[in-house]
Amino acid sequence: MQITETLGLLLALSFVISLLALTILIWAIANKQVHTPDADDARTIFEPGEGADIDYPDKPHHFDTARSGIDANSSSVVMWLIAAAVFWLIYGSLHGLAASLELHLPDLMSGTAQMTFGRMRTVHLNSVAYGWASQGGLAAVCWIIPRIFRTNLRMTGLLKVGIVLWNIGLAAGVLAIANGWTDGLEWLEIPWQIDIILAAGAACFVAPLIATAKNRNVHHIYVSGWYFLAGVLWFPVLFIVANIPGVHHGVEQATMNWWYAHNVLGLWLTPLGVGTAYYFIPKIIGKPVYSYALSLVGFWALALFYSQVGIHHLIGGPVPTWLVTLSVVHSVMMFVPVIAVAINQHVTVASNLWALKESMPLRFISFGAVMYTLASFQGSIEALRSVNTITHFTHYTVAHAHLGAYAFVSLVLMGAIYQIVPRATGKYWPFPRMIAWHFWLNVIGFAVYFFSLTIGGILQGLAQLDATKPFADSVILLKPYLEGRSLGGGLMTLGHVLLAINLIAIGFAKKTRETETENMVAAE
Amino acid sequence: MTDKKPDPRRPDETFEPFEETRRIPWPVYSIAIALAIWGVIMLVQTSTAVEVADKTQKEVAKEDSTKLAQAAAPDLDAGKTLFADNCATCHGDAGEGVAGAFPPLHGSDVVKLGGAKAVTHIVMRGIGGKLNVNGDGYEGQMPAFGSVLSDTEISEIASYVATGLNDDAKTISAPEVADIRKVAGDKDPFDGGAGLAGLINDLPAQPNSEAADQGADSERVARLVGQGTDTVWACASCHGDKGEGIETVPRLAGLPAPYLAKQLHDFQRGTRFNDSMAYVAKGLSDREIGELANYYASMSSPSGAKPALQGDLKRGAQLAKQGDWSIGVPACFTCHGPSGVGVAPNFPGIAAQQPSYVAHQLAMWAGGSRHNSPLGLMAGIGKALNDSDRRAVADYLASLAPMPAMDKTELAAMESNIPVREGVDQ
Repeated sequence: MQITETLGLLLALSFVISLLALTILIWAIANKQVHTPDADDARTIFEPGEGADIDYPDKPHHFDTARSGIDANSSSVVMWLIAAAVFWLIYGSLHGLAASLELHLPDLMSGTAQMTFGRMRTVHLNSVAYGWASQGGLAAVCWIIPRIFRTNLRMTGLLKVGIVLWNIGLAAGVLAIANGWTDGLEWLEIPWQIDIILAAGAACFVAPLIATAKNRNVHHIYVSGWYFLAGVLWFPVLFIVANIPGVHHGVEQATMNWWYAHNVLGLWLTPLGVGTAYYFIPKIIGKPVYSYALSLVGFWALALFYSQVGIHHLIGGPVPTWLVTLSVVHSVMMFVPVIAVAINQHVTVASNLWALKESMPLRFISFGAVMYTLASFQGSIEALRSVNTITHFTHYTVAHAHLGAYAFVSLVLMGAIYQIVPRATGKYWPFPRMIAWHFWLNVIGFAVYFFSLTIGGILQGLAQLDATKPFADSVILLKPYLEGRSLGGGLMTLGHVLLAINLIAIGFAKKTRETETENMVAAE
Repeated sequence: MTDKKPDPRRPDETFEPFEETRRIPWPVYSIAIALAIWGVIMLVQTSTAVEVADKTQKEVAKEDSTKLAQAAAPDLDAGKTLFADNCATCHGDAGEGVAGAFPPLHGSDVVKLGGAKAVTHIVMRGIGGKLNVNGDGYEGQMPAFGSVLSDTEISEIASYVATGLNDDAKTISAPEVADIRKVAGDKDPFDGGAGLAGLINDLPAQPNSEAADQGADSERVARLVGQGTDTVWACASCHGDKGEGIETVPRLAGLPAPYLAKQLHDFQRGTRFNDSMAYVAKGLSDREIGELANYYASMSSPSGAKPALQGDLKRGAQLAKQGDWSIGVPACFTCHGPSGVGVAPNFPGIAAQQPSYVAHQLAMWAGGSRHNSPLGLMAGIGKALNDSDRRAVADYLASLAPMPAMDKTELAAMESNIPVREGVDQ
């Protein structure tokens, strides 16, 4: 397929159409054309008959997920996913740390091909993206979807088959990469032959979640549900289209590559993170989110504008200028959904700061939610050509990637794990103090990591642009910043180890906790 | 956690999240509208108008289309002016040539037999090798003008040479030149008369191709250049088998032997920095350095350089020929010789040098990471030139004819002057 003028016109039209759609949506909300649930509505939605006596007619927004049996039904799938996710988190973190060390200690592991930087970094990316974040996110999805739909998770057997397939595929993929067999495109390194196993695994997730959504006992779908269902449908499409071999060549392949790589973040990991935060923030605080209208704008603007964002990675590359400009414009339009989500989530937290003291999971989740706002703002600015000139091909981009995928998605998911596991297992965390240690190790480690790479990256970019300096200067000046990166990465990895210890210990702990909801509070 | 007094604001576990009915705050509207307007303006304005070096894409496209529009019969008056600017310096105002140095174009058997079409080929590709014109022998060092002149300009020059200086009736049009450019534009210069014989039928006897007798002086040099050793990479692997260089790897063919030897010694001692060359130079003995310097100095090869940095060629010509006294830069040619062919032993030829190499070295002089010129001459010049001047002068030099090879007897006379280890750097 060639990128022709006609196709260019069609793509440019996509911006105009997206803009038009956003205008219509905002007009409809403003003129009350959209059905918004209010208090009366809620009473009719959760009809007393539906949940028998577990619904509270006098308290419209209450529902006992434990006594209804919903939590117990999904708990084993959720725990499988969490166990696998945390394994890949540790595995991926160690590889990331090793790759980081190799940047300033280049001879450290140069003896073995499997342990050289190119392979270590790639194994790190695939482990944390497909092993940790995807499965951690799916754990949250499988926990939250049945709760907000007031129905049992369907086809749990198929889900478990999916988990097994996904992990086998991923292990095979990581092994292939470590031994030098890859497809050679960033984010798509796993050989396409192995991708077939992963695609089959993904299919096993889609069907049960659709079935659960179809059998929902509520009329109104809470905002988390939109993000989750959309993400679960978007990801398989992205994954399969991008991995079919022999379709894209040359410059088109690079275009497809970055279309995919950025959409994995924006249309898969972001919906998982935002949806999880959207559920747990009000859940733990016990207050509703700010505005239904805003959550509509936030979701639909993401859906409309995100898909064209990735090509800003090719600024300065041999792709048509209008294609890059289109992507820059779409990237900047992302301010709209991000501001909408920010108001909805941060207002709820900001007016209930007490809850941050009470609940460690909320601390993780709302920190992550703030990082979503910052990462998105930074991303929109970074897509501008003038800024990109300096930051492209520098460690600044690496810092930004971790602000999104780590400080936002990973921290939200860690908070979700701390919140879900006691409720799914009926056990207390054996070492509650370790949770606080984990939080501060991650926050401080990330701050060291982020500021090192951001400052180092800007200096690196300026040195690269200075023709009177030899290229080596831009490399040598980075050394202290790369050491800072390893220090930060080490602290973050240590935090992950604490999570793993707590998780293993809870497996051996006796049931000590009431799963009867009367004796529980959300913020614990 | 359990020992603390529970906060009374703690919610029930049974609370399920919901959204309140609130309107969208007005700042969200205004931000969305502002961004939408900005987005439309961006799309309209910058979808094509992005700068490529000093020119915007729009300007480049416009230049191309105006050139193509002039497809009509070539303007012979314009051809005469272009001839005076580009050809007359060597071939004479009336194309009479210079006996023994530059072949005549007026009443030339080559032009008569080949017509405007052959002239177009020669102007486009240049000549690098001995040839006979009207029975007299010439060195044949003509630069390729394909990258400096447009199709229209070449058609005007070729038509003027064929019809104005000779009695041919046939002119050549810009589209015909464009067709020739498609097949011959990227080819190397003609290998002297032997190469022209393939272009023009019935050409009188021409000297044999020189390529064959450019063998290395000794087997050792041939091995260094072609295969390398354990510690020395083959010179030709980067500098090309004709010593023509590529990108930031310099052309070596025809540079003065003492200059080449000094650079290799400087790499050895670390007074000139380049990690690759430092490694290579450390593996060379003084004797090998001398032999390699002679080998490349006596090498004659066509230009492998073309303007490639979008530099302003007029500005480049000004800097090279007159200098710019307002910024304290003397003309390049004052030291590096007329047309930049170099002045042995200390001033290397800069004509036909790779433009990326020249621009890069000028930047390195400016930044201080190259500092091995006699009396620090180049450092001052490098600092005075800005980025676009560096690209301008580098592109202009790349459009010039390559320096002629050094004569072997001349080299032998210079042998005793090759600075070894006690160079004149400062």
